[in-house]
Amino acid sequence: MSQPIIAIRRVSKAFPGVQALADVSIDVLPGELHAIVGENGAGKSTLMKILSGVLTDFEGELILEGKPVRFAGTRDAEAAGVSIIHQELNLVEQLSAAANIFLGREIRGWLGFRDDRAMDEAAGRLLRELECEVLPRSLAGSLRVGDQQLIEIAKALSLQSDILIMDEPTSALTESEVSRLYRVIERLRKRGVTILYISHKLDEIFHLSDRITVLRDGKLVRTLSTKETSPKVVTHLMVGREIEAIDFGSQRKAADVLLRVENLSLSWPGHARGWRLKDVSFELRRGEVLGIAGLMGAGRTELLECLFGAAAERPTGKIELLGQPVNFRHPGEACEAGIALVTEDRKRLGLFAAMNVGENISICTLDQTGLAGFINRSREWRIAGAASEQLAVKSSGLAAPITSLSGGNQQKCIIGRWLLTQPQVLLLDDPTRGVDVGAKAELYRLIDGLVRGDKAQGDKTSGGIGVIMTSSELPELLTVCDRILVLSEGRLTATFSRAEATEHKIMEAATLGRTALAAVS
Amino acid sequence: MTNSQGPRGLLRANEWALVISILLVVAGTAALDRSHSYVNYPVRSLQDNGRRLAPLGILALGAAVVIISGGIDLSLGSMAALSGTICATLLMALGGERFNSDEGAGPVVWCVAIAASLTAGLVVGTLHTWMITALRLPPFIVTLGSLVGLRSLARAFCYYMTGRFKDSSSEDLPFSDPFCDFLTERVELSLLLLAVLASGTWLILSRTVLGRHIYALGGNEQAARLSGIRTENVKWFAYTFSAVCASLTGMFYIAEAGAKPTTLANGYELNAIAAAVVGGCSLQGGIGTIPGTLLGAIFLRAVVDSVARIIKTSSDIYEGLIVGIVVVLAVTFSQLREIRQSRRQLFPGWLGILAIPCLALACGLAGLITIGSRTGLGGMLFALVVLVAWKALELRRSEVK
Repeated sequence: MSQPIIAIRRVSKAFPGVQALADVSIDVLPGELHAIVGENGAGKSTLMKILSGVLTDFEGELILEGKPVRFAGTRDAEAAGVSIIHQELNLVEQLSAAANIFLGREIRGWLGFRDDRAMDEAAGRLLRELECEVLPRSLAGSLRVGDQQLIEIAKALSLQSDILIMDEPTSALTESEVSRLYRVIERLRKRGVTILYISHKLDEIFHLSDRITVLRDGKLVRTLSTKETSPKVVTHLMVGREIEAIDFGSQRKAADVLLRVENLSLSWPGHARGWRLKDVSFELRRGEVLGIAGLMGAGRTELLECLFGAAAERPTGKIELLGQPVNFRHPGEACEAGIALVTEDRKRLGLFAAMNVGENISICTLDQTGLAGFINRSREWRIAGAASEQLAVKSSGLAAPITSLSGGNQQKCIIGRWLLTQPQVLLLDDPTRGVDVGAKAELYRLIDGLVRGDKAQGDKTSGGIGVIMTSSELPELLTVCDRILVLSEGRLTATFSRAEATEHKIMEAATLGRTALAAVS
Repeated sequence: MTNSQGPRGLLRANEWALVISILLVVAGTAALDRSHSYVNYPVRSLQDNGRRLAPLGILALGAAVVIISGGIDLSLGSMAALSGTICATLLMALGGERFNSDEGAGPVVWCVAIAASLTAGLVVGTLHTWMITALRLPPFIVTLGSLVGLRSLARAFCYYMTGRFKDSSSEDLPFSDPFCDFLTERVELSLLLLAVLASGTWLILSRTVLGRHIYALGGNEQAARLSGIRTENVKWFAYTFSAVCASLTGMFYIAEAGAKPTTLANGYELNAIAAAVVGGCSLQGGIGTIPGTLLGAIFLRAVVDSVARIIKTSSDIYEGLIVGIVVVLAVTFSQLREIRQSRRQLFPGWLGILAIPCLALACGLAGLITIGSRTGLGGMLFALVVLVAWKALELRRSEVK
């Protein structure tokens, strides 16, 4: 066994109220791709922040190529050859690709003036090496996420980094961008770069990595060789318990039609394609979960927004709810009609960070708590408490700040918020994003219970509700949904029943439209 | 289930700190003031301060509601001037002979003038909201426009009205009226109005659905809309409320003897915003309380008065300086715990070194103009020594680490 390029020795880090890392030791060998996995809150990101110099205050030591080091900041880490590609990219959107790559280390020429041409040339070389067709002069903000990420990688290359940390690099990429990223990683490894790869997605990790380290609750569980283990073992180590394969969907009975959509179109002014959605038709029945699959930008979120009256433009086409044509101009109207939307980006579109758990749950149903516009606090608390109990939200009470909860529990609060409105149709936009494995299974069970109609608070005996859900993870849709619609470039390209759907077929339908459209234009 | 109703006591921690600070300032003034006016003439001191506190407090209520809703209203002072001008010119136009006479314009004319002024607030608030929601302009830009524009409009309106109803056109309209004198004398009336308004605003913010929606809008506008909240309506309430508050204060200002309506409340929008910020409102929106805002206004007033009494000058000269310092210090104090926890240096790097002589110079200048040249020089040297020592301490601590 050769000398480790980085040795992490008994590193601990405590935040107020949380032990983020406890006594973690990992050896990373030169040239390997070392995957770090764990549920949310397992301490992966904290560990990477320590390695890249973002966090400077911790216990334990780092040994880089045999020498103990202590980074005082990210610049120190970069100088020592450690770069990090954050999950949320750190680009200045108003500057060009080249300017971003050389930010803080601008090449200077005559009299110390900035030499833009030299930077553009150097950036062009780096980008070409990464199969990136982006021009060095183009503004970073105008690029797709995948290209922006390559700019960050180019920046790391320009720093001559030997160690590259990638934090969930594929979370926002399309399939083709993911395969390009795989090729880039392959190339980096040929150059001898050591890569620390953080991800939730086990298939990626098993495809790429040499060794896997599992963290749980801030502690090291084990480091395994990828060849000698299996996804099942790793999942088991991550959650510390077996996830039973639940058979959802059996004996579910789809009843009357709740929602009928005909020829729904949404225009996209100023875009070459001209539409976000084009002639989408489907129906949703009571007691079924309808999945919507599609790549990024296929129109999944836009479709849900149209149904909820929250789209940027007015959609055309027909939407019928319980046989009545509806045309929502504001989300408020959709709420009243019995539609609820749990948004995709929880932090940006769902949570009220300055409010507590109870206030976050009750925000949509305040009118029911009191008279004449006044809030009856004790009643509000009783209702919110019941919802929180029903969904088994883990918190230190309704008065706890919502930001103190884990992602999964925050999501439960938002679902609870909407269940209180007693919706007929529940729209879930990627509900398990940023939610750990254990909480995912709970959410699946919750969705199953809702469509079956055994919700505890429901005094209505009309049975279940209808759920439309999108997901960026196909296995999830295959587990939870009765039928799956596939969108591609805003068009509906296929509908599969649970029995006939496979990942392969869905992927084909999701990319089908693209090639066909490309051939036409 | 043992969920409590949340940790809402009477006041929050920062508000208790404000109460204590106010008491300290008042006690300090009573002791240091050489004529001991707080002790010898307590009623008159209270009246003086109450007269100035009432309009500041009402403006601060308006500013606070807009700030909590995630916006900003820079136009409060100009709005007050416009409403004061409308009120005064209408008194002149409708009062005829009785304008500026001893008997006064009379109740009917006053009612019409006040109603017109409040309507002006309603109109301006509605226009603000329309520009912000329909034209999607940033609130800062919209109200910056009104800050500059409304005062000029007030002058133009005054010019037109005096030309139309008086012998000669004038940009300003000094006037007096028995009702004004009555208002100025009976300070408790204006304080009562402030108390009633504050209670109403507090009730709305903390006990009604609309209030919760204001916090939600300020905390996360997108999420508020997607929760079915009619964000335009909530914004309309916030901006109209603040403009109407400004209209009300405008009438208080013209009540002061010999007031010129078009120049009144110049720059007071910033004092109002400062009071809200000192009271704990976050300019990011979604955070803040009415008791805090009121305490912030009282604290600002107390400090301004304290300086005026200790240094014996007209308080207006130092008011801006004091408000500026108090705002910066208040926000610094609210971050003190975080600074201590992260063990951040106060004077890092070359910027820190550059800041030390600048701070010392400012201290020296303050000493020079308030007390005298010797104190100024001494203060500057003293500040320099203390800050350099502090910097040396920080350097040593970072080396030890």
